[in-house]
Amino acid sequence: MRQPARILALLSLLALGAAAAETVTVGLDADPPRLDPALSSAFVDRQVLNQIFDKLVDLDQNLKIVPALAKSWKISNGGLTYTFTLRPGVKFHDGTPLDASAVKYSLERNLNLEGSARKNELSSVKDIKVLGPLTVQLNLKQPYGPLLAVLADRAGMIVSPKAAEREGKDFQNNPVGSGPFEFVSRKRQDNITLQANKAYWDGVPKIDKLVYRPFPEGDVRLANLLSGAVQVITPIDPKDISKLDQNPKFDVLNYPGLGFQGIWFNVTRPPFNDKANRQAVAATIDRDAVAKVVFYNTVKPAAGPFPPGTPAYSPTIKAPEPNLALARQKLGGKPLTFTILTTPGTVTTQLAQLYQAMFAQAGISAKIQQVEFGTLLDRADKHDFDALILGWSGRPDPDGNIYDFFVTGGANNQAGYSNKTVDQLLNKARAQSAMPARVATYNVALGQILSDVPYVWVYHPNNLVGMVRGLSGIKAIPDGIIRFKDADLK
Amino acid sequence: MIQFAVRRLLAALPTLFVVTVLVFGMVQLLPGDPARLLLGEEATPQAVTELRHSLGLDRPVPEQYVRWLMNIGRLDFGSSVKDNSSVLGLIADKLPTTIELALFAMLIAALIALPAGMISALKRDSWTDRALTLLALSGISLPNFFLGILLIYLFSIRLAWIPASGYVPFSQNPAKNLLLLLLPAVTLGVHSAAVLARYLRSSMLETLSQDYVRTAHAKGITWQQVVLKHGLRNALVPVITAFGLQLGGLLGGAVITEQIFSVPGFGRLLVDAVFTRDLPVIQGVVLVSAVAVFLVSFLVDLAYAAVDPRIRYH
Repeated sequence: MRQPARILALLSLLALGAAAAETVTVGLDADPPRLDPALSSAFVDRQVLNQIFDKLVDLDQNLKIVPALAKSWKISNGGLTYTFTLRPGVKFHDGTPLDASAVKYSLERNLNLEGSARKNELSSVKDIKVLGPLTVQLNLKQPYGPLLAVLADRAGMIVSPKAAEREGKDFQNNPVGSGPFEFVSRKRQDNITLQANKAYWDGVPKIDKLVYRPFPEGDVRLANLLSGAVQVITPIDPKDISKLDQNPKFDVLNYPGLGFQGIWFNVTRPPFNDKANRQAVAATIDRDAVAKVVFYNTVKPAAGPFPPGTPAYSPTIKAPEPNLALARQKLGGKPLTFTILTTPGTVTTQLAQLYQAMFAQAGISAKIQQVEFGTLLDRADKHDFDALILGWSGRPDPDGNIYDFFVTGGANNQAGYSNKTVDQLLNKARAQSAMPARVATYNVALGQILSDVPYVWVYHPNNLVGMVRGLSGIKAIPDGIIRFKDADLK
Repeated sequence: MIQFAVRRLLAALPTLFVVTVLVFGMVQLLPGDPARLLLGEEATPQAVTELRHSLGLDRPVPEQYVRWLMNIGRLDFGSSVKDNSSVLGLIADKLPTTIELALFAMLIAALIALPAGMISALKRDSWTDRALTLLALSGISLPNFFLGILLIYLFSIRLAWIPASGYVPFSQNPAKNLLLLLLPAVTLGVHSAAVLARYLRSSMLETLSQDYVRTAHAKGITWQQVVLKHGLRNALVPVITAFGLQLGGLLGGAVITEQIFSVPGFGRLLVDAVFTRDLPVIQGVVLVSAVAVFLVSFLVDLAYAAVDPRIRYH
């Protein structure tokens, strides 16, 4: 009689011990494709990469660049030289030291690795020099204002040289960094499991185990949060916000992001090689209606690429009100018919139909064509469309929200837009180092772009995170990445 | 019988060859460049060209096909464009899950369909028959995604009996494995059950109107024996065909259901591969699915003889 009771007591103690180990499971909207900072090209990768890897610098809630692995830095030589002093005593998860030579290795890997998605961001870097065990210097070909912001993202993540050499192409399946959580395992389309880095330089995380699981369907993501299978989901479908808000067991984080959404016009062929047609369509857009009807006011009407609260946002550029008289005047009595390309999905369909109705009010007839995302990108790149609904997840530096979109031949210049003045201004802003001067230059360029209308900005989406009440320590950083280092589950 | 089996297997080879051509060709026709999708937001033209080269996508298509086919001959399905993991490894990882789910679903389907179909046929045009017909039609017309969400809402959120999603391998924890697969299996099984019940009903009705059934009755055999031995057994042949088709379909991956319940099976692997244009994975999965469908229909052919001894293979 006694023995079983003792065993039972022991078992319940063990169970308590097991319960004390904190596990947080996060529901994402996609299975992160590649867990290698050099190869990653999807937004969702960053949610996981940010826990495994430390960056040279990081962003705070106000988008200020703050120290991370680099304790301090100095910009000299007219913006051509960046000298970073590293934090001492930092070790990778495999026990090897994170020093200046590891930083050099990572940055050069980003520049040279076959298929690296970081080459463009770091194209201004000429060379990287190790000046001392904890001092590393970046020399640039030309001044590049966005550099620090770029290093606050994947380009600035430092990988363990030993692990990267050993794993080669498989590093993404066994990533080793120095971040607050270390990689344990992944099963594709099922889960990615991380555990707390017990030797983390900035304090051991309170969460012991961090698990990421993909749920592409918004309803399914929500169901898993409601049923307790996961503790955090991001994003939440806007329609579900009020449901979660009213539920005492859950909290919603709803805070501004860095991205924009809107409509591209193909300026290389009719009907939108005619500026008047672009102006007519743009004038019909009712941004408040879009925010209210489709997004339950979880988005902000957009006047340009820079969301309110970001450095280059200018309050003097206002989001235009719909103006049907102007639209009709621009059309001058001529009929306008075109096809608008979008992806399938509840929200995109609703959005496209709302646009269609707005155009129709000015007598413009639009046909909606829905194609899957890969096909949409393909047709966008080939400029094989009339108009196209496509946006951008956003970057902390203004350059990341404007340069590649409007510079002639830019990688994201879907419109095929080209304007010499704009090219000059965008390149000039890159080379300036003081933010106020850069902002002024960007806004002059933006003025020209707004008058040419290759794109019409409609809204800035918010970051939407749903989580169980009792989860604390999560900061609302505009890049939308949830940093779990200080998170705690009560 | 063995001769028949060998002949069937040999006859399948040209079919499989056509399948490889189709799989490869169709994937080439997909709009969208894998390199472009892989690079996503960071795709500069230079990076795309470089990646296309390193993936071998800039070689002529016939050359790519021949190389792929030769590798398959050596059971090398290539590696995923996305994360370099071996396609065969991915398939080996996901296929057992999907097979288990498919069998589980078909078991549920059979458990529902056999009694439902028989009762419907025996009580033809009664209220029971009408109610069962109505249920079957609802089962056929209810979309998977809707039924799935409904089940999650009821059993995971309201009653909190079963986790909403997830997967544990059978070898690790059999009870949890079955519990987690229960809702997806029911979601899939209900649809198949409805189809099978309809088949069984009409097939039973036809059989029961045959002369030999009347003779059996006349001989004074009990009612149960007539129905089970003379009726059901003979009525099963078309039902087995339908069963095979349903099972084959499920083995191709129950895409939507796997998506809703986050079951890491074949369907999710395929959908993910299609959206990211992970060509080696798409080709591998479709080829293996085609082989699986062929194997199931082959087994179904063999099963006819077991059910109906009059069927002989020549």
